[in-house]
Amino acid sequence: MALGCGPAVPAQPPYALLGQSAPDFALHAAVGGNARLSEHRGEVVVVSFWSSRCTPCRTQLAALNRSLTTYHSAGLAMFGIGVDDDPAQAREFARSASVSFALLLDPAKGVSRSYQVDNLPMTVLIDRSGTVRTVLRDYSPESEQLYLQQLRALLNE
Amino acid sequence: MPQMTRAMSPADAAPWRAAPAALLAPLLAGVLLAALPITARGAPPAGPDATTPAAAASAPAPPGEAPAASAEADAPLATPPAAAESSPDTRGLDQEIQELKKDVVDLNKDLFILEEELLFPANTQVAVFLSVNVGQFFGLDSVQLKIDRKEVINYLYTPREVEALLKGGVQRLYLGNLKVGGHELVAFFNGKGPNERAYKRGASLRFEKGVGAKYLELKIDDRQRKLQPEFEIKDWE
Repeated sequence: MALGCGPAVPAQPPYALLGQSAPDFALHAAVGGNARLSEHRGEVVVVSFWSSRCTPCRTQLAALNRSLTTYHSAGLAMFGIGVDDDPAQAREFARSASVSFALLLDPAKGVSRSYQVDNLPMTVLIDRSGTVRTVLRDYSPESEQLYLQQLRALLNE
Repeated sequence: MPQMTRAMSPADAAPWRAAPAALLAPLLAGVLLAALPITARGAPPAGPDATTPAAAASAPAPPGEAPAASAEADAPLATPPAAAESSPDTRGLDQEIQELKKDVVDLNKDLFILEEELLFPANTQVAVFLSVNVGQFFGLDSVQLKIDRKEVINYLYTPREVEALLKGGVQRLYLGNLKVGGHELVAFFNGKGPNERAYKRGASLRFEKGVGAKYLELKIDDRQRKLQPEFEIKDWE
């Protein structure tokens, strides 16, 4: 799987999973316990795909962590999924990222494939019924604003 | 006839997810059939035109929307007063639709049970369960299950699942089919042993599959004397 890192490609194909049920996953965490998506049905779930080689990913994870601090009590759950081939490298990145949500490891890239990750960072917003509602395929101040708007809308549903 | 289309839409009539279209079709046809006599009862005695399909078709629409299309089509039938008079009937129709929806939900449940019985019939069914007792010397992370040297499941446990198992829960880890005869089950348990060290152990069992369903249990227990976890596969006779 070729994973680009950086600004979004101008003409991206529509995300096929929009409006579909989010594929379930269970992954090891870089630090802490394992996580399974289906355990968080009833919560708004943010899944962000990252890599240790992706510079904007670190900035985005910090921004996501801020939103989690604000909206956690409203029923927000968050996972970061690392797509590095080398788990040791991903673990090192995870330790240095210092975020309060689980950073999971997907060295086999099974979950990344099921979520059709074609750019990094990529963030998927899943509503309380487990449906994929929004995807953000880059990170910028504009996309962060859009993310917060969409997140508030989902939390209010 | 847009009203009829709305009344017949599976999205309206069956919001539940997995009811097959083949199952819904006769039930929705039942809604239509149920609607016909009600319409005939609710319509004024306006002669033979009152029982025409066009007049009948206008009845299932919600109150307030019904006259729109039918009034244009059947103006001589004086439908507006008829629509006003038929509102109790449409309420009755709503009730019938709700009852039919409930029936479809019940049928859907029965269908799931039937599906399981068909996919895993008792004469070939094999179910493997997992239970954890105490868990002082072993923190469960994942279980890999092989039957006849073929991996059938590799299950990763979350802290919540482990907690549920430690509280006495029993998990159905695998449900499948096997032919009658001798088989071998191998289970690999991954986790953390004493002193938080990575710990991997295996257990195997040769068992005979008879004509009835086969139930096996993977048991993780603590052996206090050896200060070690113990892994056992139990064959439920």
